[in-house]
Amino acid sequence: MAARVVSGGAAGRVWRVSGTAGRPRQGLAGTGGTGGGVMTVDRSAALDGSGRSRVLAVIRKLAGRAPKTFLFGCAAVPLVALAFVVVALTVKAMPAIRYNGFGFFTRRAWNPGSTYAQLVTTHGVQHPVGASYGALPLILGTLESSAIALVLAVPIGIAVAAVVVEMLPARMSSAVGFCLEVLAGVPSVVYGLWGAYTLGPFLARHVSPLIANHIPDVPVLRFFKGPVGAGEGLLSSGVVLAIMVVPIIAATTRDLLRQVPRDSVYGATALGMTGSEAFHAVSFRWVRSGIVGVSMLGLGRALGETMAIAMVSGAELGVNPHNLYLTMTTIAATIVSQLDSAFTDASGLAVRTLGEAALVLAAITLLLNVAARLMVRRVSAGTALPVGRGI
Amino acid sequence: MTNTSPDAPLPVSVNSNEALHVMNQNLNVNMSTTAQATVEVQTGQTEPSAPVLAARNASVGFGGKTVLTGVGVDFAKGTITAVIGPTGCGKSTLLRSFNRMNDKTSGYWRTGSIELDGSDVSRKGVDLLDLRRRVGMVFQRPNPFPMSIRDNVVAGVRAHRMAPRRKLAATAEHYLRQVGLWGAVSERLGDSPFRLSGGQQQLLCLARALAVEPEVLLLDEPTSSLDPIATEMVEDLLRKLIPAITIVIVTHNLHQARRLAGRTAFLYDGRLVESGDTAEIFSSPREPETVSYIGGRIG
Repeated sequence: MAARVVSGGAAGRVWRVSGTAGRPRQGLAGTGGTGGGVMTVDRSAALDGSGRSRVLAVIRKLAGRAPKTFLFGCAAVPLVALAFVVVALTVKAMPAIRYNGFGFFTRRAWNPGSTYAQLVTTHGVQHPVGASYGALPLILGTLESSAIALVLAVPIGIAVAAVVVEMLPARMSSAVGFCLEVLAGVPSVVYGLWGAYTLGPFLARHVSPLIANHIPDVPVLRFFKGPVGAGEGLLSSGVVLAIMVVPIIAATTRDLLRQVPRDSVYGATALGMTGSEAFHAVSFRWVRSGIVGVSMLGLGRALGETMAIAMVSGAELGVNPHNLYLTMTTIAATIVSQLDSAFTDASGLAVRTLGEAALVLAAITLLLNVAARLMVRRVSAGTALPVGRGI
Repeated sequence: MTNTSPDAPLPVSVNSNEALHVMNQNLNVNMSTTAQATVEVQTGQTEPSAPVLAARNASVGFGGKTVLTGVGVDFAKGTITAVIGPTGCGKSTLLRSFNRMNDKTSGYWRTGSIELDGSDVSRKGVDLLDLRRRVGMVFQRPNPFPMSIRDNVVAGVRAHRMAPRRKLAATAEHYLRQVGLWGAVSERLGDSPFRLSGGQQQLLCLARALAVEPEVLLLDEPTSSLDPIATEMVEDLLRKLIPAITIVIVTHNLHQARRLAGRTAFLYDGRLVESGDTAEIFSSPREPETVSYIGGRIG
């Protein structure tokens, strides 16, 4: 189309009137001065030396800059927001960080102290008598429930994606895809309620006894033994989280698998590989680094999940979750469940401590993300994976 | 074709020697005596070559669309046969019928028979995986797997459990040497194949196909994405592979067909117009379509 328009003497004008197909490409290049048609008009006007052309030039220059400024402003939003949140949280939590000290990571008790007695001051921080906070159970609960979620969700998510891409006919696969999207969109409070009413009791009655009774009583596996409880606790939390994470992993892995070059898969088939051999030899390798990435995305969701955990975990403060069935809580769930009572602390230490817990959660997420990036780099550089392909 | 009738039940696993014997006793009407003579010159064989692959009145299509109509063609053992014809004439579909790569394509249907060593490839009881091992395929664009160069070569060997783990490195070296790639990659066998040039990648794919010891190699325009030097390397390799392996090469490049193939089959619009000795097809084509295509008036 462009080639047809450019021919002839009045190239520039014709371009502007009817050359709509060329426009999007030319739009931003206008100020750059390389655009063919638009420049033709400009150059002839500049030769006139008229005032109108100078005004036009200034307007165009400003208009050319405006989108750039706006876009840079937009690009800065995540940066500024992250900095603002971290700084504000740190400032707010500072007294709690000073008061709790390093013991925050080793203590178990979560004790706001006496709200009726006179406030006292330690290390320059005002606090209720007997206040003592330890986040170890919360940190362990967060890490353990997320680990359970990933252990369940990653294989299931990959399997779902593989079935959708490699096996199902188009109509079925789009139906499953639709279900995945709906699952991903269900609010976590719904999962929480379902987990507390249905899934938890089911697990406690039918699944937990199976595991607990058949696991040998040896040091590491002892984690899977213990009284199975009524359904609230670590296992239920992990399973609910897994159900919430599966759609993320499945949908993204599906998209990754769809980008695997068909030629490569055909090559494996033509070599006499079965479908699963071809999947393992070609498709899976192609998306492996992407799966590490998307697992981290899922982990992020699991770590930060609040409402569902608050509902199915049993919200047990002060106890380390040292077996699969204990009631427990996580950092995020504690923040939401303790916020109300924290505001009754006149010294403000309780709220500040929740802020400190939030910082710890952010730090954990950050650390795991960095670790994942290193892992992706190792997976794609160390082995034969095509760098920059697949993800 | 005076072969045993396609309808007559043949043993499920045909001993290839037996099949060869049967073939030798039957005269192939498609193959003129001149063609046979040329084949002898080409391969140095004294006895007439039997077809390893054959299509007998094969029609193939997808859903309501017919791609091949009543194609009958033989690919003689130990020769290179070029399949030529304009884009969309069904060359690739024909090729992919032999190793049943069309099976999974939706709406695929076929009538007539497609035979390997006299036995239909779609017979009940045919081991599809072993069929594809025996009938290797190389594609238009190099398609290495996302694994190290060495693993690429032995990927099929591994899948078919053809060698113990400790022998794999030696197997890889053997086939890389055979395709002439060893010198270039011996220092970086653990590296990604995607850093190799296109020609090297295609040679790697050839090594991968050869490593499972196929009897037939189907090549679907294997050099159309390669530069002239790489093309020459691939062609030299193919010449060395016969007569141990029967080669069928689909090509758009008429010069390549002339350089490489002892026999040529010309497909046009889903029909086999003409097949026979390459020199004869190019010098004195019988059919008007062949004349037009070779003269550059169609396609």
